[in-house]
Amino acid sequence: MKNFFKLAVVGIFLVSLFSSCAKQPTEAIDAAKTAIAAAEKEGAAIYSADELKKLNDDLQAALDEVNTQSKKFFKGFGTAKEMLAKVQADAEALKAAVPAKKEAAKNAALQAQTDAQAAITEAKAMLEQAPKGKGTKADIEAMKSDIAGLEASFPEIQAAIDAEDFLGASAKAATIKEKAAAITEQIKAAIEKVKGKK
Amino acid sequence: MKRRSGKKFIALFLVLFLGSCKTPPVPPEVERAKAQENDLWRAGALLYAPEEYARYLETSRAAKNELIKQKAKIGWFRKYQDVQAAYRGVLAEGEEILRKVQQEKDTKSKDFGRQLEFVGGRIAKLKRVILKMNENGLVRKSLVQAEVLSQEAELMRREEKFTGLSEKIRAIEAHLSRAEEEVFSILARYADESQVERWRAWAEETIAESRRRGGAAIIVTKFDRRLTLYQKGVPKAVFNIGLGKFGLSDKLYAGDEATPEGRYKIVKKNPSSRFYKALLIDYPNEKDRREFAEAKKKGLIPAGRGIGGLIEIHGGGNDSLTNGCIALENEAMDALFSEVGIGTPVTIVGTLESAAELLASLKHFEP
Repeated sequence: MKNFFKLAVVGIFLVSLFSSCAKQPTEAIDAAKTAIAAAEKEGAAIYSADELKKLNDDLQAALDEVNTQSKKFFKGFGTAKEMLAKVQADAEALKAAVPAKKEAAKNAALQAQTDAQAAITEAKAMLEQAPKGKGTKADIEAMKSDIAGLEASFPEIQAAIDAEDFLGASAKAATIKEKAAAITEQIKAAIEKVKGKK
Repeated sequence: MKRRSGKKFIALFLVLFLGSCKTPPVPPEVERAKAQENDLWRAGALLYAPEEYARYLETSRAAKNELIKQKAKIGWFRKYQDVQAAYRGVLAEGEEILRKVQQEKDTKSKDFGRQLEFVGGRIAKLKRVILKMNENGLVRKSLVQAEVLSQEAELMRREEKFTGLSEKIRAIEAHLSRAEEEVFSILARYADESQVERWRAWAEETIAESRRRGGAAIIVTKFDRRLTLYQKGVPKAVFNIGLGKFGLSDKLYAGDEATPEGRYKIVKKNPSSRFYKALLIDYPNEKDRREFAEAKKKGLIPAGRGIGGLIEIHGGGNDSLTNGCIALENEAMDALFSEVGIGTPVTIVGTLESAAELLASLKHFEP
């Protein structure tokens, strides 16, 4: 009987011990969610979509672990707390990395814009040197109109940058640059042809 | 006795505890479903199959809850058969959605591809038309803007970035509509049968005069860029010509770079023009002065602009960017110069073809 009571006391003690570890890590959950929301606000959905998805998946896995432990008799949230702490740390790191990615995308768009402008300027300068003679006036006028069309499209690059559509801006700038470069090559070929005849 | 029951209790506890270490493995379908969910997200299931994707997530959640329920049990008591069945259902549903998403993307890609091909065709056709018309101003500028957008749109289609593609195609069409309106505004006169009849009447009267007088006459048809020399009412030679920058329009005022239409005569022959040789015609005539006065009353003449003059048929090459004159290659100018004299009629018309013939020639024009 004495031994039975001893065992009962030990048993009750052990249950109490496990029960005291059985509090759901609600603070850790809130901290992880807040960190992810902060990363989203910074623009992670646009500039680090895959990493954000992984974070959300990791959060869900941690919540599933909390859920699993909650249903057990002997609850242990140690693993879940570790998972949530990692999610929070990763989210904070992601938030810190987003501005740099955004800046890189913006800089790439600005460079593409500069390159497109340079290509148009070069095409206009080459047009001044285009051989003027028989059969060229109509071609020169056509190229002038083409350059005018490219110049009319150019402000759309800035509009895209202002709307933070940096990929769109880069794509448009690349197209304009390509077309301006084609005009320049056409004129260079005409100049070479004239030189060849001389 | 009491010691024995205590030992039994501990033994039972140890068996149960050790038993929990021997857990059955989680079915492999669980990990596959996790990977599938990522695939669905990456494929854009939320965009292309939102309802099915929402149902899939519910099914997935139910399967996950079943898994959690089993994982909560002591290992010995875990049974994953129901979990495996639930996850197999999730995987089957996911495969179906992935198929649907790909099908949607393929359909969109083909649909946008057709639309872009259509606008590409309109661009190509307009380019041919303006090449034939030698109209390189506003029309060409609008076409380049359309081409820039077209190239961006094609890149978006290839990268399956379909959001915003409809708006881009609409923007392309807006540029094309502007270009087509510009072309039609020029061609409208040429499609006007009553105008064409007037031109034909002028040409017939000029040819009749050439027959009657037994002398030379010149008919210029602007749309074809041709000058036909008649002798005694019979066509003797045809030459290719260049016109003003806006040559297809009827000249109205000085500096408009249009080539006039009407019945004129050669008033001067210049054998040493800066454009090789030149034949000056008597533009403006009475009709031109009348039209200028009417246009001025309507406010259509820019301030400070007169009616213009010094319209010639000259050499120097037939590339089409004179200030309104009619330009020929020097060899052609030599041939013409010797055949005509002061007083030779020069009739300049838009076209002698009907609208149907004109459109057919535009349709089949290859540069």
